Amino acid sequence: MKNVKQALDRLEIYFHKGAKLERFHPLYEATRTIFFVPGEATVCMPALRDSLDLKRFMSLVILALIPQTLFGMVNVGTMALMAEGGAVSWGHALYRGVEVFLPMLVVSYGVGLAWEGLFAVVRGHKISEGFLVTGLLFPLTLPPTVPLWQVAAGISFGVVVGKEVFGGTGRNILNPALTARAFLFFSYPISMSGDSVWIATRAVDAVTGATPLSLTLGARGDMVPEAMIRHGYTFWNVFSGGIPGSVGETSALLCMVSAVFLCVVGVASFRIIVGGVIGALVMGFAAALVSTELSPWHWINPWHHLIMGGFAFGITFMATDPVSAPGTNGARWVYGFFIGVLTVIVRVYNTAYAEGVMLAILFMNLFSPMLEIIEIKLRTGKRVPNV
Amino acid sequence: MSDLFGLFFNSVFVGNILLAYFLGMCSFVAVSKNLRTAVGLGLAVVFVLTITSPANWFIYHFLLAPGALSWAGLPDVDLNFLKYIAFIATIAAMVQVVEMIIDRYSPALYANLGVFLPLIAVNCAILGTSLFMVERNYTFVESVVFGFGSGTGWMLAIITMAAIRVRMRYANVPVGLRGFGITMIVSGLMAMSFMIFSGMGT
Repeated sequence: MKNVKQALDRLEIYFHKGAKLERFHPLYEATRTIFFVPGEATVCMPALRDSLDLKRFMSLVILALIPQTLFGMVNVGTMALMAEGGAVSWGHALYRGVEVFLPMLVVSYGVGLAWEGLFAVVRGHKISEGFLVTGLLFPLTLPPTVPLWQVAAGISFGVVVGKEVFGGTGRNILNPALTARAFLFFSYPISMSGDSVWIATRAVDAVTGATPLSLTLGARGDMVPEAMIRHGYTFWNVFSGGIPGSVGETSALLCMVSAVFLCVVGVASFRIIVGGVIGALVMGFAAALVSTELSPWHWINPWHHLIMGGFAFGITFMATDPVSAPGTNGARWVYGFFIGVLTVIVRVYNTAYAEGVMLAILFMNLFSPMLEIIEIKLRTGKRVPNV
Repeated sequence: MSDLFGLFFNSVFVGNILLAYFLGMCSFVAVSKNLRTAVGLGLAVVFVLTITSPANWFIYHFLLAPGALSWAGLPDVDLNFLKYIAFIATIAAMVQVVEMIIDRYSPALYANLGVFLPLIAVNCAILGTSLFMVERNYTFVESVVFGFGSGTGWMLAIITMAAIRVRMRYANVPVGLRGFGITMIVSGLMAMSFMIFSGMGT
């Protein structure tokens, strides 16, 4: 550590104002803060709402994402080996998972950091740690078979249009990782949806299956519970995450652990998460009440909405993003509640998409400034004037 | 009844006149700078749309549609080609009437809305709604609901945009994109998020 500090100190004079490499000060700054806590506090959002330094803030999210990432890789490997019909061992599965996920992660970080660095150098702002979270969240939401150039295209859109045109971390209105995913979802639907993209198998004739959610798209009535059992989707499987899906989102169990951790350390707002769960349950219950016996959701308990698809992952990591979520408490309840409601509405009534949590969060991101303004209006309206 | 509710939901969210058909962009971009005027203009658009859509329904079905003049003994006359000019004239007249009524009964609101009130006459969303109403063969009640729903969708979009622009005062947008540029980018992102409803209903 001492040597690193000395080396960095020796290099610092080249990046000072007026020195030769002044333009590249953001790059120096970013390298330095990886090793040492910076002396100054952040002055703009999201730190305005919290006394934590931005880097500590973001590294707590990364910490919460590590179990998801490891489990995701093992799961990707397991699913691939099972589909090929071979024997499954932990080591082999992890190896296959790393082989699939590591290139996605490297491309996401590499291309994203290149854009981030370009904007930082040209516009003279600092490279923000927020990107470390975006760059990890984004590949975790992708199916394991997505081509790498699409990862690069998606993260470019997310970083440039979703964040940098607004001036960088803390100023964007939509979650950048979800913006990137939505861009891919609408531009390249074949590699982002359907039944065959969720297992990264090498065998051409391997058995690929529907995910629990896509089973409900074409199915009718009480076939769904039977079909789920037939595909091996027991409650425990779906809850623990041993099912095909996007890399990091399958395990609702791990998401629950991360959600509790993030709420306890004060990064995520429990109001958003609890509001989302209530919203999904209320709407799921209402949908089950009014649906006829022929509807695929009629025979499924409402709480299935909580463990299927990406809901747990989205409400834990995406909806609680401190920048794009509202900053006032009442608005957080409303925001979370409607994410839950909209997710279930899309799953049950919108036959075009199997999963709705991504678009539900983006949609509510749009309304978070308005919810904040409404709550502030209501509160200041109650105030007795200072005569 | 549930059909009418479905039509209302469709016109507010699924086929939002602004974010799905991109009609009425000019005043959307220009007036969303300020939350208060955005709400005022939104309410005025809702009001005008709810009146003009059924008024144009009457004009179309009793004067312009092929065979509509049979009540006057002229079943062979087809005045369909006059659709555009007749609709625009109706809209302009309606806006004038609304303007005079607001001026007479609520001078404060009239002063707040200022020049935006007469400008509603050239808002493409108003003409677009009347033309969609003809194209989709709505009945009279449906045309009222459709006009009200389209207006509500337009108001929802402009108020959301105004709130986002309040928040964007803290943003550090590149110089070349400030103003209209970033507003168009945000409109695009809004339209992408509104695609959550595409595919629902008809």
